This record gives sequence, C-alpha cells and structure tokens, in this order.
Amino acid sequence: MSAPTQTPGLRYPSNKKTIYDRNLNRSKNAELSRAAFAYLFVEMISYAQKNVKDISALEKRLNTQGYPLGLRLLDLLLSRSPSPLSSIRPTRIITLLQFIGNTLWRHLFARAADALERSESDAGQYMIFDNDPMVNSYISLPREMRGFNAAAYVAGVIEGFCDGAGFATFKEEVLEREEILNRGGG
Amino acid sequence: MSYTFTILSPTDTPLFTHEFGTSRSGGDGIARFTTAERAQNPFILHSALDIVEEAQWGQSTTATSAPMYLKHIDKYQNNFISCWITGGNVRFLLLTRPRDEALGLGSGGSGGGGARGSLAGGRAGLAGGAGLYSPTSPATEEAVKNFFVDVYEAWLKTIMNPFFHVGNGEVVKSPVFRARVAAAAKKYL
Repeated sequence: MSAPTQTPGLRYPSNKKTIYDRNLNRSKNAELSRAAFAYLFVEMISYAQKNVKDISALEKRLNTQGYPLGLRLLDLLLSRSPSPLSSIRPTRIITLLQFIGNTLWRHLFARAADALERSESDAGQYMIFDNDPMVNSYISLPREMRGFNAAAYVAGVIEGFCDGAGFATFKEEVLEREEILNRGGG
Repeated sequence: MSYTFTILSPTDTPLFTHEFGTSRSGGDGIARFTTAERAQNPFILHSALDIVEEAQWGQSTTATSAPMYLKHIDKYQNNFISCWITGGNVRFLLLTRPRDEALGLGSGGSGGGGARGSLAGGRAGLAGGAGLYSPTSPATEEAVKNFFVDVYEAWLKTIMNPFFHVGNGEVVKSPVFRARVAAAAKKYL
C-alpha cells in the first residue's frame, strides 16, 4: 500500500509484508501438534504460577490470559462462517452457545463440545460439557493443588467470547433483554 | 459528497476517524465540510449510537442472529448515517453529507435567480429521481456495504495483532490501516 519511505516512524518486516497483507484464512485448516501445545501450555501455567498466592488466584490469571483470545476469535470465526458477505452475528444466548460449542470448539480442539445444558435452578446458568478436555489431558496435580483446574483458561476464552458479543457473562440485564426479544418487543 | 468514518469501541470511545470526499463522478476525494460542520460531526455520530443500540438486536422475534450491516440508520439535517456492527460490538459509523444540489436544495432558492430556484424545485419534485441522493437506494446501500466489508477485513487483521489490546479502547494508529480505509473509500464511495 504505502511505500516504506512515506512513514519514517514505521518499520516494515524485511519481506515488506505487514499484517494487513496477509490472508486471514491462511491458517484456517492449519493444525498444531499436541506436543507443541502441551509444552506451550505448561509454560503458560508455570508463568502464571509465579508469585501466586493460592489456587483461585492462579486460575484467575489463566482466565485473564484466555480472555483476549476469546475477543479475537469471536470476530475471526464469525468472519469465517460460510457466507462472509452476509455477515451475521448471534443475538440470542442459545445461538451464541451453539456457536461456541460447535465452531469455537472445533477451532480450538478439532471436535465439537459433547453437550450443552441449561441449569434447572438458575436461569442464567448454562453448561458446556467436554468429556475429555484437552487442556487437562497432560496435567497431573500434586496433592496440595488438588482443587486446580487448568480449564480456567478455556473459561477465560469463553468469557471473552461472550463479553465481546454483548452477553456480559449472563448478567441480569442480558437475561432481561433476552426475554424482551422473545416476547417480541424491542 | 463528503464523508466522515469513525470506529467506536463497545464503550463508545472513538478508535479511529477518517474524513474523505467522494471519488466518484470526478470527485477529488477531499472532504468539503465547513468548520462548523466538522465540529458538529462527532456529536451527530455519537447521537446515532442510541439508534444503533435500538437496532442492533434485530427486529424479528424468531431470528436468532442479526446482520452486521445495519444500513442507513439515522439522519440529522442533511447528514445521513450508516452503520456496521462487528461481532465484538465495535461500531463502524459512516456519515454522509451530500452536496446541496444532490439534496434538491439548489443554491438559487436563497436569493439567486428565480430560474435556478424553480429548477431546483422541479428536481425536488422528482424525489427519488436520478439526480437526488437517497440513502436507501440499492446502489448507495451496496456501495456503503462494500466499503464496510473491506474495512471489516482490515479491522480483523488489526485485532489479530497480539500487541493490540482489543476491548481496552486502544486507538488504531497504524498508517497501513488508514491507507486501507482510504483505498476502500476511493474504490466504492
């Protein structure tokens, strides 16, 4: 687009290709080896573990690491859905959750989530089931950390995903809006 | 015609603003806002956000998703506003200020020759005719959509940057992004 000489403050990569020159779908079907994933993920956990007080603080940190990923994947996956020109975005909770269970799960773990359930006691609580979460598969916990769940990272991704879409992790307002939309007001 | 394009974060912070004129029918691509209009534009754009929030969750009760392109959503005096809303609730707003002639407001009416005034009146009478600007005509909608589609792609690439803090209201500073927006504007508007 613009020649390197036009903008002195900006440094271009040696091949003159900025992120804007790359194709968004280039890595669409790319896969990463499990070994590389496990190695990287273990490093992320031990990074989060530095100077951490207790297990909930560690999970909170992992959650924070996953959050921006959710925000980014939301738009990326929406833009990759079959008909990009009629770009659509989910406006209902169920649609969003199905999108998470299918598209997001397939993107991250190469398979769909096992089940999606709604809590009977709490209308604002939904559960996505994964019977064999990949993030937990290479982790064995020492006795003093028994309560730790590495899926806090995935929870962070989902949280970012929902917040980004305007479903701030199922707060009251979101449920109220859903009801109004279903009644036909709005 | 003159345009102002603004990207607003989900918390209504302006992240990027670009002003340009039409490149169609011999336009030179330079915006022709007066100083007063230029100062007013941010207010018009922000007031349109109320309409966006009404429209963004869709009309029909059965639909479970809504399009990103909300088309023409608001009008203030002679300014027309179109909106595209991304999956992450970032709003792209395009303000269009057509030339006076394109609105059927000939300059003659204000005190010039009577013949010009009646000509302008005659054109206004043919509302929807070829000479008049209409924000809902298929050609305009399509052009604005194509513009938004191109900007959306550039936006996606911006947020894929791991050093860009998405959702934190980080302003887009990349000159390459600006060049991409300008190119899309030149191509379609």
